[in-house]
Amino acid sequence: MRPAIEPGDWLLVDPTTRSWPRRGSVVVFREPDSDELAIKRVAARSGDRVPYADGYLILRDDEAWLLSDAPDAQLMAAGLGEPVDSRRYGPVPRDLLIGRAWFRYAPLRRVGPIARSSASD
Amino acid sequence: MSRLTRWLAPSTVVRAHCDLPCGVYDPEQARIEAESCYKIIEKYAANEDATYRTRAIAIKEERAELVKHHLDVLWHDYFKPEHLEKVPNLHELFWNATKQVSKVKASTDIADAKKLLDLIDEVDAAWKATGGNEKTRVAGRPV
Repeated sequence: MRPAIEPGDWLLVDPTTRSWPRRGSVVVFREPDSDELAIKRVAARSGDRVPYADGYLILRDDEAWLLSDAPDAQLMAAGLGEPVDSRRYGPVPRDLLIGRAWFRYAPLRRVGPIARSSASD
Repeated sequence: MSRLTRWLAPSTVVRAHCDLPCGVYDPEQARIEAESCYKIIEKYAANEDATYRTRAIAIKEERAELVKHHLDVLWHDYFKPEHLEKVPNLHELFWNATKQVSKVKASTDIADAKKLLDLIDEVDAAWKATGGNEKTRVAGRPV
């Protein structure tokens, strides 16, 4: 999730989040295929169309499409294999949402709110 | 770490979980573990000692599990729907190969291990036919 989140960042996560936050927000959730706690950005929410295989998917009410921040050029350079995000495990249901990461309180030089991405609505 | 820092430190670690997989895939990994199974069956047959035989079976079990893991990674992560054009029997091949691993786990028949090696060689051919060697391995390694 570089440069938005660096390894070792200390984050405050809002656990009261009841639904997927706005597009561009950074969220903590349980990965559908591994149950591991992961952090990604909300790329699309219920009702949105997302490209999938040769067509597209329309996300259901409780679903979000979560993507890593790595740019496509970097993904291409990495060769085959999908990044470990919704492109691999598909839409993520609301039940797996833990909360929205909204503030970084360490390291000191990077303290501040977690910005939503510019591509957000 | 000071007491304050310890108190402030997060209690939960969250992973961005490898945004980018390394993208290196090679059926050779599965082949080496399958060769271990083959050789263990040979050694098992040549040794009557009960302790030796018990160890051989246990190690074969471990190695076979690794074969399955490496095959699964190739199947799930390397191969893509477009590869089916070049290798139409891809899914059947992996189905047969992973089933054969289960057979090797339960068997001490060298023919079963040989059949597994043959199936992995077919996977290797599919990997080569889809440009796996050029696309996924780092260039310049000795052949």
